[in-house]
Amino acid sequence: MIKMQEYSNGGGGDDGGGGGGPADLAKLQSIMHSIEIACSSIQVSNAYVHVYIFMEMHVNPAAAEATILGLCQSPQPYKACQFILENSQVANARFQAAAAIRDAAMREWSFLTADEKKSLIGFCLCFVMQHASSPEGYVQAKISSVAAQLMKRGWLDFTSSDKEAFFSQVHQAVLGIHGVDTQFIGINFLESLVSEFSPSTSSAMGLPREFHEQCRISLELDYLKTFYCWARDAALSVTKQIIESDAAASEVKACTAALRLLHQILNWDFQFDTSGRKISINVFSAGVRTESSSSKRSECIIVQPGPAWCDALISSGHIVWLLNLYSALRQKFSSEGYWLDCPIAVSARKLIVQLCSLTGTVFPSDNGKMQEHHLLQLLSGILEWVDPPDVVAQAIESGKSESYSDFSNFNSEMLDGCRALLSIATVTTPFVFDRLLKSIRPFGTLTLLSNLMCEVVKVLMMNNTEEGTWSWEARDILLDTWTTLLVSLDSTGRNVVLPLEVRNAAASLFALIVESELKVASASAMDDNGEFNYLQASISAMDERLSSYALIARAAIDATVPLLTRLFSERFARLHQGRGMIDPTETLEELYSLLLITGHVLADEGEGEIPVAIVWFLARWSQTYLMPLEEFRDSSTNLCHDTGYQHQSSTSRKALLSFFGEHNQGKPVLDIIVRISMTTLVSYPGEKDLQELTCNQLLHALVRRKNVCVHLVALDSWRELASAFANDKTLILLNSTNQRLLAQTLVLSAYGMRNSESSNQYVRDLTRHATAYLVELSGKNDLKNVAQQPDIILLVSCLLERLRGAANATEPRTQKAIYEMGFSVMNPVLLLLEVYKHESAVVYLLLKFVVDWVDGQISYLEAQETNIVIDFCTRLLQLYSSHNIGKTLMTQSSSLLGEAKTEKYKDLRALFQLLSNLCSKDLVDFSSDSIEAQAINISQVVFFGLHIVTPLMSGDLLKYPKLCHDYFSLLSHLLEVYPETVAQLSTEAFAHVLGTLDFGLHHQDSEIVDMCLRALRALASYHYKETGAGKVGLAAQAAGINNSNGNPEEGVLSRFLRSLLQLLLFEDYSPDMVGTAADALFPLILCEPRLYQRLGSELIERQANPPFKSRLANALQSLTSSNQLSSTLDRVNYQRFRKNLTNFLVEVRGFLRTM
Amino acid sequence: MSDEEHHFESKADAGASKTFPQQAGTIRKNGYIVIKGRPCKVVEVSTSKTGKHGHAKCHFVGIDIFNGKKLEDIVPSSHNCDVPHVTRTDYQLIDISEDGFVSLLTENGNTKDDLRLPTDENLLSQIKDGFESGKDLVVSVQCAMGEEQINALKDIGPK
Repeated sequence: MIKMQEYSNGGGGDDGGGGGGPADLAKLQSIMHSIEIACSSIQVSNAYVHVYIFMEMHVNPAAAEATILGLCQSPQPYKACQFILENSQVANARFQAAAAIRDAAMREWSFLTADEKKSLIGFCLCFVMQHASSPEGYVQAKISSVAAQLMKRGWLDFTSSDKEAFFSQVHQAVLGIHGVDTQFIGINFLESLVSEFSPSTSSAMGLPREFHEQCRISLELDYLKTFYCWARDAALSVTKQIIESDAAASEVKACTAALRLLHQILNWDFQFDTSGRKISINVFSAGVRTESSSSKRSECIIVQPGPAWCDALISSGHIVWLLNLYSALRQKFSSEGYWLDCPIAVSARKLIVQLCSLTGTVFPSDNGKMQEHHLLQLLSGILEWVDPPDVVAQAIESGKSESYSDFSNFNSEMLDGCRALLSIATVTTPFVFDRLLKSIRPFGTLTLLSNLMCEVVKVLMMNNTEEGTWSWEARDILLDTWTTLLVSLDSTGRNVVLPLEVRNAAASLFALIVESELKVASASAMDDNGEFNYLQASISAMDERLSSYALIARAAIDATVPLLTRLFSERFARLHQGRGMIDPTETLEELYSLLLITGHVLADEGEGEIPVAIVWFLARWSQTYLMPLEEFRDSSTNLCHDTGYQHQSSTSRKALLSFFGEHNQGKPVLDIIVRISMTTLVSYPGEKDLQELTCNQLLHALVRRKNVCVHLVALDSWRELASAFANDKTLILLNSTNQRLLAQTLVLSAYGMRNSESSNQYVRDLTRHATAYLVELSGKNDLKNVAQQPDIILLVSCLLERLRGAANATEPRTQKAIYEMGFSVMNPVLLLLEVYKHESAVVYLLLKFVVDWVDGQISYLEAQETNIVIDFCTRLLQLYSSHNIGKTLMTQSSSLLGEAKTEKYKDLRALFQLLSNLCSKDLVDFSSDSIEAQAINISQVVFFGLHIVTPLMSGDLLKYPKLCHDYFSLLSHLLEVYPETVAQLSTEAFAHVLGTLDFGLHHQDSEIVDMCLRALRALASYHYKETGAGKVGLAAQAAGINNSNGNPEEGVLSRFLRSLLQLLLFEDYSPDMVGTAADALFPLILCEPRLYQRLGSELIERQANPPFKSRLANALQSLTSSNQLSSTLDRVNYQRFRKNLTNFLVEVRGFLRTM
Repeated sequence: MSDEEHHFESKADAGASKTFPQQAGTIRKNGYIVIKGRPCKVVEVSTSKTGKHGHAKCHFVGIDIFNGKKLEDIVPSSHNCDVPHVTRTDYQLIDISEDGFVSLLTENGNTKDDLRLPTDENLLSQIKDGFESGKDLVVSVQCAMGEEQINALKDIGPK
């Protein structure tokens, strides 16, 4: 504590740049001393012995941290920091001093003179170079990064000769003129610099995004390639020493750093070619593909630096040098065992792999010849890592030739070879890919790929597939390679015939894959642990893998489909033979696995056991094959469209398409599918997952297309299902979600009816029973007693779910029937809400039904209907509110209380959704009479609703992110669209609404802040425009009123002007928000010019420091006057003000916040 | 309070059963279930498989609606569970007696005087304070499987 005092006298004083003298030296020494103590005590407190030290030193960790923070926050601490860096023996103290330079300079940057700025950077650079051999690498790295950050901060201010001066110093170091340690430091500095300029790794500087963007562009255009060449030259300069001499540790270190820098530079997200144009997205040249396909398990970043890089990367023999370097290093070090995972080998391989993904305009447009040559060069270098595959795989497995530890597995040449193949596959077409190897081997690259993967699968089979081994990783990378190559063939739709060699390779690979999957399946039959979650995760991982397998199988469809058929029949035969004698589990598992694979091979998207797998398979299959659309078939076959018979067509695809077409076997198959669904729904009671799959995927897939619906509604089985659903008790036992899904599906199938009348009639028949029951029940005299019986609750819940499902399926042609359905239960809904007021589960269902029904209906309703619905919703809101206001639950159980809170949250969210749905009438309206004619003011209804609902909402409930989001989006919508209604709100309601707005303004979620700002802008601009036109605007609300105690209170706009300024100047917020904030601030200032003047002068008054004072005054002045800002609220002015505010904040926020 | 069973024989729902059977798969969160002879509110339902080819089973976590204790049960999803018949009746609070009973006004104008105040200090003070400050209070009495308890309190404005 005492030390703190001493320190702040020293550091916090006025010794900014002042002269020397013994007194000064003593002060600096005392600062250094206090920082050293603080650093050691923090360091020690992380060890075990801190108790002793604290007794000795009387410093606790909090005080120590405060001391260090004090240094960072004190004005102009540079001299002290430099003193510490140069004199302290404590490495941590030097580290902290460097950090303090960075923090202080970032903060005070705009007040430093150009010379001060340059001397700070110069100091850091010289310091690291001079202490290049210092053993504390992390301190050096920190200072390098400080220098890099400062350089970026001043990047746009410095002249190019300033920059040249720094860089020539760096260049000399990188060339190795001052020795190999300095060389390392130079490379290291460039690494920091590049990462600082790359948007994803840059540090925050409190500056707008444009700044970072400009820096990025400037570096990319003017320096990046130069750095690349420097790094390459650095690596070249030490290569000789490394290869020739024995222990050249520091050269290796420098070389590794150089390779790392090369890799980092190529990782840059290149956007501009040298002419300054943005690279167009589609750089098409024959045989070369630029866009990457879909998501992958393994990363593959494409490198597209543009034509300027051609000389550095391609024509200069760079690749040959790199490959030679690697093989020379390989020879030299391979005897030492640790070679493969030593940093230099890893970096070199990474760079080689990266160069494989080089593409775009860096290659001249010569039909891809140059790129092919480039890839061939690389491939021949890589070949020795993976070829011959069996030998390499065996070597890894036996661990003889290379000492493989668990960690080094992931750094092996094998894996990097696989990654390189993936990269090559990403930038080429399958044909170019395959051709590459043919010039140097008797087989193509695809065959190599296939052999490689066969070996990997064999190893996987032997090792019992433990996740996380090298073979697992290699399989994933290779599968991605296959996917990348084959997806392009698959998606073109053309039946491209691959060469026989490739087909054979794919077929044998697929056979091996199936064998290995079957082995896994039968092995898994016995481990019966119910780790359900783990199972789920592995299933979805498997799903991805299976789709890759499917692509391979499709590449050799002639061989693979018969294989699958054979395997199936074998398993079935085994199942029948062994009935009752042999445990069928293994075979069942195998069948399950086969079903999954077959499903993927035959159709395009699994889980559970046999019935589940069957349903899953059918769903997927029907979507692809059942009754394909005529047009689709035409385009794919180019045959006459009249009949489904296509005798000439030879490929299996065509045959399948017509076989299951509408005029052939499609109908019987559809019938079978419906019957299977009935079975799963009725005969597997309580199997939720199976039934959900049936309702959600299988049946849902059927009703998705109109042509299938047409046949569906004509089927007896479908009518049976519908009638069973409407009238039978059995389907009542389905779980609630499935009730809803089934109702939805059945109603959707009305799409297949001939006309709108029959569709409506069909829907009425489906729902009549349910609505009639609810009407009857709610009319009972003893409703109150009966309703609470569990069986009645179950029935009511189930029927409500069905109605909700039907409401969800509202389509224009069934809208009428669904309106009638909802209309007939309006009164029952209100009665049920009353009797079930204590039964939260039913209340929620009632609300959700109304929400969905209104959502489906509102845009179609005519005036009278709209009135009825709005009236109904209002009554519903009032009733709900009267039940819940002032209610407290009497229980000691915290979990019951927690549940009650969650229920309330869900209810409220539903109510907000209801209000939003009502609002949408104003935006989307298909009714015949216009909204004006209806004489309904939706906004008033919604505000009234908000008025009813908001008292139920507590600050606690606003902590639920979704509820909060719903509330504020509704609020901002209302304020933006109907500011005039807000003006008419009662004082109390107005205060409530604006109170929440104030709350939202300080919310953590930037989206919510954004919505509040938009609302505020709407409110203020409304008031400004209205008053400008001589009207009252927000009138009393804005003018300031007397609150309940009779004290005058500020008007709302003044209040928000104040709090928004406070927020912008002093608080933390996302920089993205500044634009919207400007849009809100501008009209607020226009509304309250006098208050703004006063606040401005208060701000200036408070500023003690004269230079800051004048800066602030100027900034405030230009905020409202520069860029020809005028006082009309139009687009141009808003934009000008946005610009002004951004400049203003950049100018003053830095010192306002820290002073 | 279970010794007060005989009190509601005279009630309207005297003949109703105390529990109903219901398939486990249809019991949802926020519904009710009997676990170990106690009426519970279901706060968690999950389905799991016993072994890979077995039937689905429902795992219920319930909170005893009277004493707040947590209870758990696993039932095959196609089997039946007992679901308690839970009723809630609202009464206006007329008086709080010295000996820890409340006096409630029933719908048909009679009084009901056999219900105890909660024993928990916190809950007790919620009722007492509200009553003493002259608020009009409605209590909701929850009744299931022969037990009764005040379950919620609603302030319907000053007297």
